[in-house]
Amino acid sequence: MTTFRRAALLAAALIVAAQAVAHHSFAMFDRNKEVTIKGTVKAFNYTNPHSWLDIIVTDDKGATKEWSFEMEGPSSLMRSGIKPGSLKPGEKITVKAWPLRDGRPAGAAINITKEDGTVLDPRKGLRPPTT
Amino acid sequence: MAGSRFVSLSTSTLASGALIATLASVQPALAQAPSKASSQSSPQGDTWASIMKLPDWGGIWEVTFGGGPRGARPEAPALTPAYEAKLKEYQDAQKRGEIQDTPAANCVPNGMPAIMTQPYPMEILFTPGKVTIMIEAYSQWRQIFTDGRKHPEDPDLTFNGHSIGHWEGDTLVVDTVSLREGIYDRTGAIHSDKAHVTERIRKINADTIEDQIVVEDPVTLTKPWHVTKRYKKLKDPSLRIDHWACEEDNRAVFKDGSTDIVLPTESRYKDPSKPDEEQKK
Repeated sequence: MTTFRRAALLAAALIVAAQAVAHHSFAMFDRNKEVTIKGTVKAFNYTNPHSWLDIIVTDDKGATKEWSFEMEGPSSLMRSGIKPGSLKPGEKITVKAWPLRDGRPAGAAINITKEDGTVLDPRKGLRPPTT
Repeated sequence: MAGSRFVSLSTSTLASGALIATLASVQPALAQAPSKASSQSSPQGDTWASIMKLPDWGGIWEVTFGGGPRGARPEAPALTPAYEAKLKEYQDAQKRGEIQDTPAANCVPNGMPAIMTQPYPMEILFTPGKVTIMIEAYSQWRQIFTDGRKHPEDPDLTFNGHSIGHWEGDTLVVDTVSLREGIYDRTGAIHSDKAHVTERIRKINADTIEDQIVVEDPVTLTKPWHVTKRYKKLKDPSLRIDHWACEEDNRAVFKDGSTDIVLPTESRYKDPSKPDEEQKK
């Protein structure tokens, strides 16, 4: 790991911590683990204190399971370039997230990749707030 | 349960003697407040004409991460042994991986002084006799009366308290009492309803407002707690203070000191937009 990458990760972790403590503890998410989940958008709730992205995941046998991802609230997402219409129901996406520690199908979104390859970073608008 | 510190926080038994000491120390400060404006016929900021002479605090502001001057670490509150023990219990539980939290997870506002540390937009409005701070987090506002009034007797204790202020040149000096018990900051330490907050708020350059906060609390502190917060001007002209309706789809549930996430697929999930009878079983 390069020094730059290490510094960037540390900065990102601090920002996540700062934002999360604003409303609730981040301890239910396992930040030492990342999951990548592919699915179809069911709902994108653009709400405070956190936005929620609910997606339907279909396995090889056709069984479905709903996953939910916590994201920043509207003012932070707006600054990250993620608008209410950025994720539409029916859209196929891939979500990278820190999962819940207890194994239930939910996590805190790290980023979202759309079908055309566009990557949405919900924390982009947090660093730094003046630009 | 380890995290029940917010449930058993009655301070009345701890400090009736200290309360008298606080009230005695607050009163002289209040008496001094209007004297700075004695050379004028009315306090600065009491009329539109006098507001025109105040510094321009227009724009949308947001606290800087870490706050305070660059590199400076905020001072930790000097807690009394009883409150130090409560904080240690809370932080030890966090270290064990328990999800410790505050009632803010259930949408209860943070209150003063913690509300001034929230990483969300803020706007400051001047009208005759009053400075209003609009805070997006939890859709809060603070009213700071600059018309020379005093704090009320037998006040209703509120999250943001009762604030009176006066201008000393370009600095707004604010005195806040009548707070409910709440949190100081992100340390996890708590203040009592006897907390007395003094602030000196000043624009230090075109893009920065600074708030020097001093908290005195005879119940929880052994000496005043000093913390300086800085707020940067946000450049995006489309930004405004948005409505923060915390209850809209809050999936965090805080109970007995611990926070859990409730998922829409679970039977205990309640859709806040639907009446109870329509909630799925």
